[in-house]
Amino acid sequence: MGRYLERSENLTRLLLVTEDISSETQGLAEQVAQSAWKDLLAIFPSSHVGPPASAFAPMSMAYLAGFYLDAGNPYSVHYSLRRARENARSVREALTVEVFLALNETFRALEAHARRGLGDPPSFRDALTSTHKGLFTIVGAIEHTFTRDQGWLFLKLGEALERVYRTALILRAKLPGLAAAEPRADVALYYTQWRTLLRALGSLENYRRSYGARLEPELVVPFLLLDPHSPRSLRYGLEAVKDQLERIAGGGEPTAAVRLVGRLHADLAYQDQRVAGGGADTAFLERVVDIMGQTHDALSAQYFVT
Amino acid sequence: MLCWGAVKWVPETAAYDEAFDRSAAPRSHYRPLVTTLESFTLTEIARRERLQKISLVDQGITFTVYGEKDGLERIFPFDFVPRIIPAREWELIEAGLIQRVTALNLFIADIYQEQKCLQDKVIPPELVLSRKEYKRELLRVTPPRQIYTHVVGTDIIRNDRGEFLILEDNCRCPSGVSYVLENRNLLHRVFPEFFTRYPVRSIRDYPRLLLDTLLWSASRATENPVAVVLTPGIHNSAYFEHSFLAREMGVFLVEGRDLIVEDSYLYMRTTGGRQRVDVIYRRVDEDFLDPLTFKRTSLLGVPGLMNVYRQGNVAIANAPGAGVADDKAVYAYMPALIKYYLGQDPLLGQVPTYVGLRKDDFAFMRDNLASLVVKTTGDSGGYNMLMGPFATRKEIDAYATQLKKAPGNYIAQPLVELSSHPTWVDGSFEPRRIDLRPFILYGETIRVLPGGLTRVALRPGSYVVNSSQGGGSKDTWVLAPRGS
Repeated sequence: MGRYLERSENLTRLLLVTEDISSETQGLAEQVAQSAWKDLLAIFPSSHVGPPASAFAPMSMAYLAGFYLDAGNPYSVHYSLRRARENARSVREALTVEVFLALNETFRALEAHARRGLGDPPSFRDALTSTHKGLFTIVGAIEHTFTRDQGWLFLKLGEALERVYRTALILRAKLPGLAAAEPRADVALYYTQWRTLLRALGSLENYRRSYGARLEPELVVPFLLLDPHSPRSLRYGLEAVKDQLERIAGGGEPTAAVRLVGRLHADLAYQDQRVAGGGADTAFLERVVDIMGQTHDALSAQYFVT
Repeated sequence: MLCWGAVKWVPETAAYDEAFDRSAAPRSHYRPLVTTLESFTLTEIARRERLQKISLVDQGITFTVYGEKDGLERIFPFDFVPRIIPAREWELIEAGLIQRVTALNLFIADIYQEQKCLQDKVIPPELVLSRKEYKRELLRVTPPRQIYTHVVGTDIIRNDRGEFLILEDNCRCPSGVSYVLENRNLLHRVFPEFFTRYPVRSIRDYPRLLLDTLLWSASRATENPVAVVLTPGIHNSAYFEHSFLAREMGVFLVEGRDLIVEDSYLYMRTTGGRQRVDVIYRRVDEDFLDPLTFKRTSLLGVPGLMNVYRQGNVAIANAPGAGVADDKAVYAYMPALIKYYLGQDPLLGQVPTYVGLRKDDFAFMRDNLASLVVKTTGDSGGYNMLMGPFATRKEIDAYATQLKKAPGNYIAQPLVELSSHPTWVDGSFEPRRIDLRPFILYGETIRVLPGGLTRVALRPGSYVVNSSQGGGSKDTWVLAPRGS
């Protein structure tokens, strides 16, 4: 459930942010708008998006429909939230009433949008904003009403795993293009893209608190990878995964998953800021993606295979 | 009246229409927008307008009107039809503004240092030295990097021939840039279709450029100088903007009580102890900045701040004393000052101005009040103004009495037919008068934000665009040159 809720939130935020940069740049630099949407297919690899409804429909419509309302797309908000709700229903007795109600209401509102259909980007934006608020309500209800038992630890573990995995995928999709961009070509557009990356990772406000409005790549990349306080940096996420795994293991011998994550966390915690500032270390990001996959498999084998 | 698609358009007949030519055909740069708007039904426009209003309320994009009984906070009305400025027109505006701000900074530096322009009688000394905005306390005080006008908001209008004219300089604490940025966000969200056929230059970079400008003026040789935004507090009319800019720049928003002076340095009180401050972006009127130097009763300022400033240990943007350049009588001399300092003719014209201090001008003003727009030299925001052509005899007589008491406090200008722009009013597009406030940043170089605050007089026939008096705003698009 934690993983599906986190995925829903990631998707909703990415759709809102991508719609923003797309509408801002489509008349000025159409290729930037197009690649922003195409990146979603790299971030959610096995997803699919149908053809646009008509040749005159804005380019964003097919992506918005596919990633928000398409019940058959395993990487749509609709699909993820439905799975979160199904999981919740199967353990309903273990959930608080507040959590189930918030989840149910958010999903039902989304279903209503899917039934009615949404005809234009502003309608999508309105609905996405409402879903986003609903998701924060669910997360807040979990935070405030859940007993801190094993169930809560697994829920937070799922959330942290998804966050680290998806953050690595977003960085892997976006950084090479950004690192190759030439600031002198259009300074405002150049910095808009870096700002959009921070927003896509829910980190713009936290970044500003550390570095202000300066958006230099050598500051942004280390922040997203290594900042110890920002809840969406890779390092913070890995620390959360490691912490939940250790608490679930209860102080015994390190499990396979703990060893995998522990090594990666140590690598990242001691990584040189200057190395991380280099821009697009895609090999490292590949490794994060790979290890998160292995961790998922190890956890499944240890706790969920009967 | 024109009817295309479902919507009605009423072109302007008495002034320059930004969107339509004399034959009521859309100007070439407005054609795609008009076509897009025509594709909407009235119901659809009403729905989008509703979304827009909800968004404004939800995000708390407000301003405060002093003296209002029915609540302090108000939504700044936004009209969704954007004002479009083609690249070639913007080139002129940008060059003209850079020229003007360069001259303004040289002028302010001169009157606080050598006073050459006064000795050379380019501008009457009594006109400058008698203004309350001229701060004798700052004579011979040099600000870091000799920059006085870090952030300038210059008001520009367009006359009936379509010429851009400078109406006013704002070198003190020009406000409105937060609405410029939020208007763009709002239009992206509510009418994204508008943008598909236009290369609209981005304005999102403004907070980065502003921070860059502020930090450039820091005098301390440090890798990480500290800047803060100084606000009078939550009840100030522009408080939304103060908090917005602090958040966007990632700097602290402080009030006077958060700052302390010690050993000629300025510090900010934080939970982690005191932190030295290098630059203040002050949104507090200079009279309230330091009770030891200016208004003794001020609770908004920081005792001893001006001493720190004199020592060169803090930069203040804009520099205290810069407000003298906003004076409406000084404005009358700007073409001469540009020529004097730069040896150039002004690239942008301005409105002919009669200065009450000059005997002949005063006589003309006195005899022609009914046809003139008369303003007090030190006020802004459309307050204490006489719109002669629209005033009653009684109002004119009352104003004449005031004028005779202190002619030097008044200037007069002919009524300029401000250009008008299609504006959505009750189900049709009607012409409403507009102006433009671009924002200019003076740091290592002078940069003009490609856009600005287009203010619109929402009341039919009104010339007053100020938000405090029934004005609203529009998104302003500057188009990128073709092939860029």
